[in-house]
Amino acid sequence: MPPSVTHQFTWPRRTANRVRGLSRLSPTAAAGVVIIVCFGVLALFSEWFMTHDPVSSYPDRILQGPSFEHWFGTDGNGMDIFSRVIYGAKFGFGIAIPAVIIAVLIGIPVGLIAGYRGGALDEILMRIFDGLRVFPSIILALAVVAATGQSLLNVVLVLGFLDSPVFARLVRAEVLALRSSNFVESAIAAGNPTWRILFFHLLPNTIQGAMAQTAVRAAWAVRISATLAFLGIGIQAPTPEWGAMIRQGAEFMVTGQWWVAIFPGIALIFLVFGLNLLGDGIQDILDPRRRASK
Amino acid sequence: MVLPLLIGVVFVTFMLVRVGGLDPVGLLAGPTATAEEFTMIRKDLGLDQPLWKQFLIYGGQVIQGDLGESWLSNRPVLEDITTRSFISLELLFWGIGLGAAIGIPVGLRAAFKPNQRFDQVTRIISLLGFSIPTYWLGLVMLFVFFYLLGWAPPGMGRISLMVSPPEFVTGSYLIDGLIEANWEAAHSALTHLILPVLCLAIVSAAPIIKQTRAIALEVIASDTVRYARACGLKIKTLRAIVFRNSATPIITFVGTEITGLVGTMSLIEYVFAWGGLGQYGLNAIVRGDFTAVQGYVLTLALFSVLIFLIVDIVVAIIEPRSQLN
Amino acid sequence: MNLLKITDLQTHFVFHDIDNYRREARALNKVNLNLNRGEILGIVGETGAGKSLTAQSICGLLRPPAKVVGGSVLFLGKELLSLAEEDLNDIRGAEIGMVVQNPKSSLDPLTRIGDQLVRIHQTHTASAVSVARSKAIAMMHAVGIPDPEKRFSAWPHELSGGMAQRVLIAMALMNEPKLLIADEPTTGLDVTVQAQILELLKDLVRRFEMGTIIITHDLGIVAHYCDKVAVMFAGEIVEYGTVTDIFRRPGHPYTKQLLASTPEKLKLNEAGSLGGQPPDLFNLPEGCLSQDRCSLASDQCRTPPPVITLETGQTVRCHFALQ
Repeated sequence: MPPSVTHQFTWPRRTANRVRGLSRLSPTAAAGVVIIVCFGVLALFSEWFMTHDPVSSYPDRILQGPSFEHWFGTDGNGMDIFSRVIYGAKFGFGIAIPAVIIAVLIGIPVGLIAGYRGGALDEILMRIFDGLRVFPSIILALAVVAATGQSLLNVVLVLGFLDSPVFARLVRAEVLALRSSNFVESAIAAGNPTWRILFFHLLPNTIQGAMAQTAVRAAWAVRISATLAFLGIGIQAPTPEWGAMIRQGAEFMVTGQWWVAIFPGIALIFLVFGLNLLGDGIQDILDPRRRASK
Repeated sequence: MVLPLLIGVVFVTFMLVRVGGLDPVGLLAGPTATAEEFTMIRKDLGLDQPLWKQFLIYGGQVIQGDLGESWLSNRPVLEDITTRSFISLELLFWGIGLGAAIGIPVGLRAAFKPNQRFDQVTRIISLLGFSIPTYWLGLVMLFVFFYLLGWAPPGMGRISLMVSPPEFVTGSYLIDGLIEANWEAAHSALTHLILPVLCLAIVSAAPIIKQTRAIALEVIASDTVRYARACGLKIKTLRAIVFRNSATPIITFVGTEITGLVGTMSLIEYVFAWGGLGQYGLNAIVRGDFTAVQGYVLTLALFSVLIFLIVDIVVAIIEPRSQLN
Repeated sequence: MNLLKITDLQTHFVFHDIDNYRREARALNKVNLNLNRGEILGIVGETGAGKSLTAQSICGLLRPPAKVVGGSVLFLGKELLSLAEEDLNDIRGAEIGMVVQNPKSSLDPLTRIGDQLVRIHQTHTASAVSVARSKAIAMMHAVGIPDPEKRFSAWPHELSGGMAQRVLIAMALMNEPKLLIADEPTTGLDVTVQAQILELLKDLVRRFEMGTIIITHDLGIVAHYCDKVAVMFAGEIVEYGTVTDIFRRPGHPYTKQLLASTPEKLKLNEAGSLGGQPPDLFNLPEGCLSQDRCSLASDQCRTPPPVITLETGQTVRCHFALQ
């Protein structure tokens, strides 16, 4: 039978098997993906899930507890918390995804070049990265965002920028290991220009570890952006971002109106948890030693 | 080797505040200042000099211990920082101490019986710990233990407003209270300590559990442990071998974690109005008090460098393979 | 009674790969070995032939995904494969001594070597520490470590490769084992040190009357120091008998190939030295596993070859053994 016909209908079965295989290899990754996809759906199609308009306030219903009308209650401005939490998913993805993309786009080329070229450039870069390590990342992000102006774009740029050293370091380590291998040496001997070597030969083989980190860094980005908003930097009320919502709800926690701050926090926890699960699961798949099966 | 690092740290701190569009002069002068007053203030702050000169001046000041004056509190930044550092150290010490005391044994136990119930539950819980925002946790704790249960005092400060703090010996109200036999103060300090310490412990335990487990698993898979099994050594001895061989990487890891945890601690201080360095620094950042921000960030960085040095020394002492021995 | 009698030992790798297919490989296929006290058996083969796996299967030191799925290992009449971990622990390091590869990374880097010697002794014998200590020093002396009193408090990283290997031998002998398994005891050491250590081993074996298994890829070692030899390929023993018989009249084509190599090529480190890639244990051919390399291969080889016993007593796993 001609191969094209036999292959045609096996791909659904093969994909299902691959998914089952991956889930068996790492149920954590599978669970993580499920959670992330749920939030993704909420973010993309929030209009379908929201019960009220997230930014309109009902002045006669301030600080009402969860009820049939307002599932998560209302906040200090009389806005429906449930809808705001749903809408807030947009911010979670809207900040984390561009930030990680920026970090990858900056970090990977830098790591490739530094690892490949070596020399003074590499030394200086590594010193800078090492130097940055002594600052707590939260504080660093905080200070830079506060200094550069408080807009959403800035938050994304700063987070992306501050996260790039992680990727650069990972890629650089792999490049250093591969640099003297036969396969790279023969590519050089064949007269390939540097950019070709970097792009076609080194890149595919060195990004594995870095890619595994994307989920974890995305989790960090979501956390930090919420922290910034909580402190009143970058995003402010009445934007329905989870961190900002927690900030609003903070003063009410000690007076008993727990719903204002708790629900956005729970949403935040779940999204970050899902991303961390995925990141942890990927690391398990890539490094069998960690699984240490019986 | 440390010196260029320190210079770099000072440089970064310096640039940090000048990197953006915030105009400290405008903030200080206020909306009603005239043009002459602007120029005077600018000159006063040294901002009319070229950037490189400013850096040199700043560097010189730092070495002499002059960190400028906070325009918020109108006191020398150095003074503000030193008093508050001890306050934060108390929280840091108990918080991370508790976190490590819980985290390391749990991580080790999970590594000894991998993929069984304890391990799986632990992994999920520690990942959860990674995902909980610290400030939110603090708020929830206040809600549950203060508002609902009435067990904890209101989240304000380190000691009840109605109790007078003990004499300054170590800076820790708890310890000083005990030294003085001032039971009321000590008790109040203790109750105020519990929630923030618990918060910090929970958040710091998560990465410690995860990394301890990973390190221990690697050691268990190593040639050393394999050979120990081939020698027929008892399980207790094997455990001891794993523990000792994991010690160095674990200590190194906790050292690096402390750097990040200082940031988390600052958030906890903010939520509980702890009055320490973290709260001071965060307020400074939010309000644009740039000399204070400089001082704060510089202090944090220097503290991290110190911790790294201490870790290096400790490792050199316990490791027979190090150059020292 | 035999010291060690291995019958039809079968060890497999079992795991699920990324496409969720269950993959199973025959790492050891029906391995049969016999050893008596005072005998030295050499197990020889290429990398990946299953030599170390055999040793690990005997002592219960297999790592997942490898597991023993069949056969029997009788040590002094006791079935090792069905022993619980605690009981195996009592035997390991005492009645069965193991010398492993990579001595420098196997010794506990945080304990002085003298203390490690004492430790292995105290684990299996209740005696005073001073007794153990003097025994340790005597043993260090016996394995040729100069200045044992001083070296007693040395750290493992301070030793050279050869010294570390001697320490491993000393450790294996501390409890006067009846069976000694030495896995590549001289790999990585330079030639003079190799000879010293092997002579030492031979001498100690005679002195203590231990049954010994030496695992190596070096035919020269087998020729000079072993009484019996088992040739392994792809997890199977293809030929087994006394060294004199096999070296004089090899029965298996693979053995003939090995011995036909010039003395320089007696080492089998590189898989390519015998012409071919190491066999993929997950995609073994039907029938005789060496058919891809064998000049005598024919259609008959697609059925599993029988194990034929020649008149000299050696066994050969080949259809053409009697030619």
